[in-house]
Amino acid sequence: MDGNSSSWTWTLERTICSDPKLGTQLIAEVVDYLCENDWSNKDTFGIHMALEEAVMNAIKHGNLRDEKKCVKVKVGVSADSFWAHVEDEGTGFNPDEVPDPTLDENIEKTSGRGVMLMRMYMDQVQYSEVGNAVEFTKTKSAK
Amino acid sequence: MSQFECIELDNVEEVAVVKFTDEKIMDPARIEQLGKELLHLTDSDQNEKVVINFDNVKFFSSAAINKLIVLEKRMRARGGQMMLSNLRPEVRDLFNLTNLDDLFKIENEQSDAIKSLGAE
Repeated sequence: MDGNSSSWTWTLERTICSDPKLGTQLIAEVVDYLCENDWSNKDTFGIHMALEEAVMNAIKHGNLRDEKKCVKVKVGVSADSFWAHVEDEGTGFNPDEVPDPTLDENIEKTSGRGVMLMRMYMDQVQYSEVGNAVEFTKTKSAK
Repeated sequence: MSQFECIELDNVEEVAVVKFTDEKIMDPARIEQLGKELLHLTDSDQNEKVVINFDNVKFFSSAAINKLIVLEKRMRARGGQMMLSNLRPEVRDLFNLTNLDDLFKIENEQSDAIKSLGAE
Protein backbone atom coordinates (compact mmCIF):
# COMPACT_ATOMS: atom_id res chain seq x y z
CA MET A 1 0.00 0.00 0.00
CA ASP A 2 1.05 3.57 -0.59
CA GLY A 3 -0.31 6.89 0.64
CA ASN A 4 -0.18 7.61 4.37
CA SER A 5 -0.55 3.93 5.14
CA SER A 6 0.43 4.09 8.80
CA SER A 7 -2.90 5.70 9.71
CA TRP A 8 -5.23 3.40 7.79
CA THR A 9 -7.82 1.65 9.90
CA TRP A 10 -9.26 -0.21 6.90
CA THR A 11 -7.64 -1.18 3.62
CA LEU A 12 -8.60 -2.99 0.46
CA GLU A 13 -6.08 -4.17 -2.11
CA ARG A 14 -7.36 -6.16 -5.05
CA THR A 15 -6.61 -6.98 -8.65
CA ILE A 16 -9.68 -7.64 -10.79
CA CYS A 17 -10.06 -8.59 -14.44
CA SER A 18 -11.79 -6.06 -16.68
CA ASP A 19 -15.34 -7.10 -15.87
CA PRO A 20 -17.61 -4.19 -14.88
CA LYS A 21 -19.57 -6.47 -12.52
CA LEU A 22 -16.41 -7.11 -10.48
CA GLY A 23 -15.77 -3.37 -10.41
CA THR A 24 -19.29 -2.72 -9.17
CA GLN A 25 -18.91 -5.33 -6.40
CA LEU A 26 -15.60 -3.85 -5.26
CA ILE A 27 -17.02 -0.32 -5.17
CA ALA A 28 -20.04 -1.52 -3.20
CA GLU A 29 -17.70 -3.04 -0.61
CA VAL A 30 -15.94 0.30 -0.11
CA VAL A 31 -19.17 2.29 -0.02
CA ASP A 32 -20.69 -0.12 2.51
CA TYR A 33 -17.66 0.33 4.77
CA LEU A 34 -17.94 4.14 4.61
CA CYS A 35 -21.68 4.04 5.34
CA GLU A 36 -21.09 1.82 8.35
CA ASN A 37 -18.31 4.03 9.68
CA ASP A 38 -19.89 7.42 10.10
CA TRP A 39 -18.99 8.98 6.76
CA SER A 40 -21.72 11.43 5.69
CA ASN A 41 -24.03 10.81 2.75
CA LYS A 42 -22.35 13.69 0.93
CA ASP A 43 -18.79 12.39 1.41
CA THR A 44 -19.83 8.84 0.62
CA PHE A 45 -21.61 9.96 -2.56
CA GLY A 46 -18.49 11.84 -3.73
CA ILE A 47 -16.14 8.94 -3.00
CA HIS A 48 -18.56 6.54 -4.66
CA MET A 49 -18.59 8.79 -7.72
CA ALA A 50 -14.79 9.12 -7.91
CA LEU A 51 -14.19 5.40 -7.41
CA GLU A 52 -16.89 4.50 -9.93
CA GLU A 53 -15.40 6.78 -12.56
CA ALA A 54 -11.82 5.63 -11.94
CA VAL A 55 -12.59 1.91 -11.95
CA MET A 56 -15.04 1.97 -14.87
CA ASN A 57 -12.73 4.20 -16.93
CA ALA A 58 -9.89 1.74 -16.24
CA ILE A 59 -12.04 -1.20 -17.38
CA LYS A 60 -13.72 0.44 -20.38
CA HIS A 61 -11.22 2.97 -21.72
CA GLY A 62 -7.94 1.77 -20.21
CA ASN A 63 -8.18 -1.98 -20.72
CA LEU A 64 -10.84 -1.73 -23.45
CA ARG A 65 -12.86 -4.41 -21.58
CA ASP A 66 -10.17 -7.00 -22.34
CA GLU A 67 -10.71 -9.49 -19.51
CA LYS A 68 -7.13 -10.71 -19.88
CA LYS A 69 -6.05 -7.32 -18.61
CA CYS A 70 -6.33 -6.38 -14.95
CA VAL A 71 -7.22 -3.36 -12.88
CA LYS A 72 -5.38 -2.90 -9.60
CA VAL A 73 -7.29 -1.10 -6.88
CA LYS A 74 -5.93 -0.02 -3.51
CA VAL A 75 -8.01 1.81 -0.91
CA GLY A 76 -7.03 3.13 2.51
CA VAL A 77 -9.40 4.67 5.02
CA SER A 78 -8.46 6.30 8.31
CA ALA A 79 -10.68 8.00 10.88
CA ASP A 80 -10.73 11.20 8.85
CA SER A 81 -9.38 10.50 5.38
CA PHE A 82 -9.88 8.38 2.28
CA TRP A 83 -7.21 7.43 -0.28
CA ALA A 84 -7.41 5.31 -3.44
CA HIS A 85 -5.14 4.24 -6.26
CA VAL A 86 -6.52 2.70 -9.48
CA GLU A 87 -4.26 1.40 -12.23
CA ASP A 88 -4.99 -0.28 -15.55
CA GLU A 89 -2.88 -1.94 -18.25
CA GLY A 90 -3.80 0.48 -21.00
CA THR A 91 -1.69 3.02 -22.84
CA GLY A 92 -2.94 5.89 -20.68
CA PHE A 93 -4.40 9.26 -21.59
CA ASN A 94 -3.82 12.92 -20.92
CA PRO A 95 -6.57 14.13 -18.55
CA ASP A 96 -5.78 17.74 -19.45
CA GLU A 97 -6.90 17.08 -23.02
CA VAL A 98 -10.40 15.98 -21.97
CA PRO A 99 -12.85 18.76 -22.90
CA ASP A 100 -14.46 20.62 -20.00
CA PRO A 101 -18.03 19.28 -19.96
CA THR A 102 -19.33 22.27 -17.97
CA LEU A 103 -18.70 24.70 -20.85
CA ASP A 104 -21.78 25.63 -22.88
CA GLU A 105 -20.33 24.16 -26.07
CA ASN A 106 -19.67 20.82 -24.33
CA ILE A 107 -22.65 20.58 -22.00
CA GLU A 108 -24.53 18.13 -24.24
CA LYS A 109 -21.51 15.94 -24.93
CA THR A 110 -21.44 12.58 -23.20
CA SER A 111 -17.68 12.37 -22.66
CA GLY A 112 -15.30 13.92 -20.16
CA ARG A 113 -17.72 14.24 -17.29
CA GLY A 114 -16.14 11.45 -15.23
CA VAL A 115 -12.71 13.08 -15.05
CA MET A 116 -14.28 16.38 -14.03
CA LEU A 117 -16.45 14.74 -11.37
CA MET A 118 -13.44 13.09 -9.75
CA ARG A 119 -11.73 16.45 -9.50
CA MET A 120 -14.83 18.12 -8.11
CA TYR A 121 -15.59 15.56 -5.44
CA MET A 122 -12.05 14.75 -4.29
CA ASP A 123 -9.58 17.04 -2.53
CA GLN A 124 -6.66 15.83 -4.66
CA VAL A 125 -6.51 13.85 -7.90
CA GLN A 126 -3.15 12.89 -9.36
CA TYR A 127 -2.65 10.99 -12.61
CA SER A 128 0.54 9.08 -13.41
CA GLU A 129 2.77 10.50 -16.12
CA VAL A 130 1.53 7.93 -18.64
CA GLY A 131 -2.07 8.39 -17.52
CA ASN A 132 -2.90 4.75 -16.80
CA ALA A 133 -3.06 5.23 -13.03
CA VAL A 134 -4.85 7.71 -10.82
CA GLU A 135 -4.61 8.41 -7.11
CA PHE A 136 -7.12 10.49 -5.18
CA THR A 137 -7.79 11.59 -1.61
CA LYS A 138 -10.65 13.03 0.37
CA THR A 139 -10.69 14.39 3.91
CA LYS A 140 -13.79 13.59 5.94
CA SER A 141 -16.08 16.61 6.21
CA ALA A 142 -16.80 18.07 9.64
CA LYS A 143 -20.30 17.35 10.89
CA MET B 1 -46.41 -7.39 -17.08
CA SER B 2 -44.40 -4.21 -17.59
CA GLN B 3 -42.37 -3.90 -20.78
CA PHE B 4 -39.65 -2.15 -18.75
CA GLU B 5 -37.00 -3.49 -16.36
CA CYS B 6 -35.23 -0.33 -15.25
CA ILE B 7 -38.07 2.17 -15.14
CA GLU B 8 -41.67 2.39 -14.02
CA LEU B 9 -43.97 4.42 -16.23
CA ASP B 10 -47.12 6.13 -15.02
CA ASN B 11 -49.34 8.62 -16.78
CA VAL B 12 -50.58 11.65 -14.86
CA GLU B 13 -52.88 13.72 -17.05
CA GLU B 14 -50.94 13.98 -20.30
CA VAL B 15 -47.54 13.65 -18.60
CA ALA B 16 -45.47 10.48 -18.63
CA VAL B 17 -43.96 10.09 -15.15
CA VAL B 18 -40.87 7.90 -15.02
CA LYS B 19 -39.32 6.41 -11.87
CA PHE B 20 -36.19 4.30 -11.68
CA THR B 21 -36.43 0.80 -10.26
CA ASP B 22 -32.80 0.78 -9.00
CA GLU B 23 -31.65 2.90 -6.05
CA LYS B 24 -28.07 3.00 -7.32
CA ILE B 25 -27.80 3.47 -11.04
CA MET B 26 -24.25 2.35 -11.71
CA ASP B 27 -24.19 -1.14 -13.22
CA PRO B 28 -23.04 -0.73 -16.86
CA ALA B 29 -25.39 -3.38 -18.24
CA ARG B 30 -28.37 -1.90 -16.38
CA ILE B 31 -27.43 1.59 -17.60
CA GLU B 32 -27.40 0.36 -21.20
CA GLN B 33 -30.84 -1.17 -20.65
CA LEU B 34 -32.01 2.05 -18.97
CA GLY B 35 -30.87 4.07 -22.00
CA LYS B 36 -32.88 1.84 -24.33
CA GLU B 37 -35.97 2.08 -22.17
CA LEU B 38 -35.76 5.87 -21.90
CA LEU B 39 -35.42 6.22 -25.66
CA HIS B 40 -38.34 3.83 -26.12
CA LEU B 41 -40.47 6.47 -24.41
CA THR B 42 -39.84 8.82 -27.29
CA ASP B 43 -41.19 6.28 -29.79
CA SER B 44 -44.70 7.09 -28.62
CA ASP B 45 -46.45 10.31 -29.61
CA GLN B 46 -48.22 10.13 -26.24
CA ASN B 47 -45.06 10.98 -24.35
CA GLU B 48 -44.53 14.58 -25.40
CA LYS B 49 -44.22 15.65 -21.77
CA VAL B 50 -42.03 13.62 -19.45
CA VAL B 51 -41.17 13.97 -15.77
CA ILE B 52 -38.27 11.89 -14.47
CA ASN B 53 -38.90 11.37 -10.75
CA PHE B 54 -35.67 10.60 -8.83
CA ASP B 55 -37.48 9.78 -5.59
CA ASN B 56 -35.87 6.38 -5.26
CA VAL B 57 -32.36 7.26 -6.47
CA LYS B 58 -29.38 7.31 -4.09
CA PHE B 59 -26.58 7.22 -6.67
CA PHE B 60 -26.43 8.23 -10.33
CA SER B 61 -23.21 7.71 -12.31
CA SER B 62 -21.95 9.87 -15.16
CA ALA B 63 -22.75 7.03 -17.57
CA ALA B 64 -26.37 7.24 -16.42
CA ILE B 65 -26.32 11.03 -16.82
CA ASN B 66 -25.23 10.48 -20.41
CA LYS B 67 -28.40 8.49 -21.04
CA LEU B 68 -30.49 11.37 -19.72
CA ILE B 69 -28.62 13.80 -21.98
CA VAL B 70 -29.39 11.61 -25.00
CA LEU B 71 -33.05 11.45 -23.96
CA GLU B 72 -33.22 15.23 -23.49
CA LYS B 73 -31.78 15.81 -26.96
CA ARG B 74 -34.26 13.36 -28.49
CA MET B 75 -37.18 14.94 -26.61
CA ARG B 76 -36.15 18.43 -27.70
CA ALA B 77 -35.69 17.34 -31.33
CA ARG B 78 -39.26 16.08 -31.47
CA GLY B 79 -40.69 19.15 -29.74
CA GLY B 80 -41.27 17.44 -26.42
CA GLN B 81 -40.65 18.72 -22.91
CA MET B 82 -38.90 17.03 -20.02
CA MET B 83 -38.35 17.83 -16.36
CA LEU B 84 -36.64 16.21 -13.41
CA SER B 85 -38.03 16.11 -9.88
CA ASN B 86 -37.53 14.72 -6.38
CA LEU B 87 -33.72 14.71 -6.43
CA ARG B 88 -32.11 14.06 -3.04
CA PRO B 89 -29.49 16.70 -2.07
CA GLU B 90 -26.48 14.66 -3.19
CA VAL B 91 -27.97 13.99 -6.62
CA ARG B 92 -29.13 17.61 -6.94
CA ASP B 93 -25.55 18.73 -6.19
CA LEU B 94 -24.34 16.46 -8.97
CA PHE B 95 -26.46 18.30 -11.54
CA ASN B 96 -25.38 21.63 -10.07
CA LEU B 97 -21.64 20.82 -10.09
CA THR B 98 -21.76 19.69 -13.70
CA ASN B 99 -23.83 22.71 -14.82
CA LEU B 100 -26.41 20.23 -16.04
CA ASP B 101 -29.08 22.22 -14.25
CA ASP B 102 -28.69 24.57 -17.24
CA LEU B 103 -29.68 21.74 -19.56
CA PHE B 104 -32.32 20.06 -17.42
CA LYS B 105 -35.26 21.81 -15.81
CA ILE B 106 -35.55 20.63 -12.20
CA GLU B 107 -38.37 20.97 -9.67
CA ASN B 108 -38.40 19.78 -6.08
CA GLU B 109 -41.68 17.90 -6.35
CA GLN B 110 -43.29 15.83 -9.06
CA SER B 111 -46.50 17.86 -8.81
CA ASP B 112 -44.57 21.10 -9.43
CA ALA B 113 -42.84 19.56 -12.43
CA ILE B 114 -46.18 18.46 -13.87
CA LYS B 115 -47.58 21.97 -13.37
CA SER B 116 -44.50 23.49 -15.02
CA LEU B 117 -45.16 21.35 -18.05
CA GLY B 118 -48.53 22.96 -18.34
CA ALA B 119 -50.60 20.06 -17.12
CA GLU B 120 -53.43 20.57 -14.64
